[in-house]
Amino acid sequence: MLKEILRIIGREGYISRPKLAAELNISKVLVDDGISQLLRMGYILEDKNGEGCSSFCSSCSRAKACSKEVVKTFKISEKGQRLLQASS
Amino acid sequence: MNSGTIALVGNPNSGKTTLFNALTGSNQYVGNWPGVTVEKKEGKFEFEGKKYHVIDLPGTYSLGAYSEDEVIASDYILTGNPDIIINVVDAGNIERNLYLTTQLLEIGKKVVLALNMIDEADKRKIEFDIPGLEQKLGIPVVPTIASKEIGIKELIKRTVEAMNNGVVTKNPLRYNDTIEHHIDHLTKALEKVNLPYPARWTALKLLEGDTGIFQKLKDYQYFEALKDIEDFYKYHSQENFELEIIDSRYAFAHWVTEGTVHRPEEEVITLTDKIDKIITSRYLGVPIFALIMLLVFQLTFKIGGDILGEYLASIIESLGGLAETFLAYINAPGWLIAFIIDGIINGVGAVIEFIPIIVVLYLLLGFLEDSGYMARAAYVWDELMRRLGLQGKAFISMIIGFGCNVPGIMSTRTMDNQKDKMITTLIIPFMSCGAKLPIYSVFIAAFFPNHGGLLLFLLYALGIIIGLIMAKIYSKALFPGKSSYFIMELPSYRMPTLKNILRNMWDNVYGFIERAGTIIFAVITLLWVVAVLPVSAAPYSEFSILGRIGTFIAPLFKPAGFGTWQEAVALFAGIPAKEAVIGTLGMLYAGEYLEGGNFLVNAIQQHFTPLTALSYMVMTLLYTPCAAVLGTVKKETNSRKWTIFVALVNFAIGWLVAVIIFQIGSLLGFS
Repeated sequence: MLKEILRIIGREGYISRPKLAAELNISKVLVDDGISQLLRMGYILEDKNGEGCSSFCSSCSRAKACSKEVVKTFKISEKGQRLLQASS
Repeated sequence: MNSGTIALVGNPNSGKTTLFNALTGSNQYVGNWPGVTVEKKEGKFEFEGKKYHVIDLPGTYSLGAYSEDEVIASDYILTGNPDIIINVVDAGNIERNLYLTTQLLEIGKKVVLALNMIDEADKRKIEFDIPGLEQKLGIPVVPTIASKEIGIKELIKRTVEAMNNGVVTKNPLRYNDTIEHHIDHLTKALEKVNLPYPARWTALKLLEGDTGIFQKLKDYQYFEALKDIEDFYKYHSQENFELEIIDSRYAFAHWVTEGTVHRPEEEVITLTDKIDKIITSRYLGVPIFALIMLLVFQLTFKIGGDILGEYLASIIESLGGLAETFLAYINAPGWLIAFIIDGIINGVGAVIEFIPIIVVLYLLLGFLEDSGYMARAAYVWDELMRRLGLQGKAFISMIIGFGCNVPGIMSTRTMDNQKDKMITTLIIPFMSCGAKLPIYSVFIAAFFPNHGGLLLFLLYALGIIIGLIMAKIYSKALFPGKSSYFIMELPSYRMPTLKNILRNMWDNVYGFIERAGTIIFAVITLLWVVAVLPVSAAPYSEFSILGRIGTFIAPLFKPAGFGTWQEAVALFAGIPAKEAVIGTLGMLYAGEYLEGGNFLVNAIQQHFTPLTALSYMVMTLLYTPCAAVLGTVKKETNSRKWTIFVALVNFAIGWLVAVIIFQIGSLLGFS
């Protein structure tokens, strides 16, 4: 399941949990688990998009708008890339 | 006398504590696990005249070293020697819960599975083949509803039976040959020492890279075993044992539920998939985004400008009238009346009048964000951005930049590719921020009242287009190389919550209001002073200090069609804060009060034509960003050179595009 999730993410270029659940015929909760495991093991890395200016401008009137995460993004790590190449 | 100890193990929210209460009733006592503040609950129950001790372990999804709860549960199961484990499983989420079950079976302890909350699963029409589950898992499975104390007696009976029947739990999970080979190798090394844990389990955890097990081997000074393990890792450090092992457990859990858990046929293609097929389509994605944004701007202008804006404008004008009457009544000096009416009410007030537009725009953008659409928009733009030498994440920074360029630039911190970071930083100032909205709004009200939404949309689009063109130029000329790759999460669509939308709006509007009361107020005050001095010159005239400065720089803007000193001064007043452009015009045109409607709109109609209004709006869209943005560019690039580059190049681009628009418009006969 984990390798399949990683393979689909690498192929599609985005993470859609409902789509992963449908394609792998598993529940969305399991997809969440799988993504958490891949993150924990370092096959994918989550970007800290909401932390852009939290340390810089806490007194700024726009700090709250600034620290918000509009879109969650990830990267496939080198470890993940190696696994994808090995299994392709 | 205790006839046996039973440990309750389960995922969080599996109903484990409810089951513990159902088993033990009031025979409970609460303490702490040694060395930690995690609650330890123990209790007793009696069955057929014998007493049994029950321990409720912390809820955990797996047994390992990744959280305090996991460590406590693992340690107790491995070293606390319970006679049997009741594994509490949420029936509705059985596939996920079976991951922990698999680990319990691998340890080799006796296990009874309590398939709990079976009523909830029943409501969702999930059916279970209990004998099938028992056969595949090799342990008793008892359906329970702990909250209603249903199945508890049967659970106790089967648990006590299993505890005393002498049947050894079999580990039903076999890994692939490579993993099994390594497990055997490590197990042999571990069997040489007297471990307090099962050797195969320890070998598995070592292969998984469980740091807790390594530490324990060190603590117990099992140096011989450690040496063998270290030798092993010299040759196998790059292999994905952990992933293979975890994957095999999920595969086992999936195999167990196949044919034993029947869920109603769910629609494989969800509504989200159906919508995404159209919205993220290669050819329709960008046009759909453009249409949605056009609709957003139309609504912004209709609701925020035509309805709410005019209402607020009339309130501010009434306040101005009242203030003037009051100041005259108390015999306030002329300069104070002029400062309050011309400087504050007409200057700062001109900015505040446009708050409704900002409120509506951010309510709508918040709706799009919270619904999950903005992630799709960024995904759709990703391919286009890549072709222009940027990664799609730059588009996310651009979206953030629509609120304020400062956080847009700050968001580039998460880009680890220097090329992407630099190019995005340089193009963000072309994105139209909220502070520029009052400028567009007043010019649109003056000349294009029936096409406000469309014009607003075109201005935002022009900012994006110029940004993309410059990205391509910067990518080719200044930062050659490849962009990094990233993956975006497309969340399920959902109905946005009012709370989230309102919070998003307030986070943006608050900054605007605060700036109106601080930096804009300060800029207007300073400009008002130099606009009424020297005393010998007529206030707000070209002979004032401000008038003389403006007259000196005004010819620069003649080719763009707006060459008066007030317009030139207002542009430079926009460098401390963009809202000050409109505040300055409001103050400088205050002497030309015209009856009826918004005075600033009327004044602008006297000083501009539709074509010069257009070129002025484009200039304000693209020219030198505000001081806060320049400061952020300096901080993020750590370079004075790039800060000056942004200030000058953006000014030149703004000027050039404004000139092109005016000159071509004039040639085509527009005025």
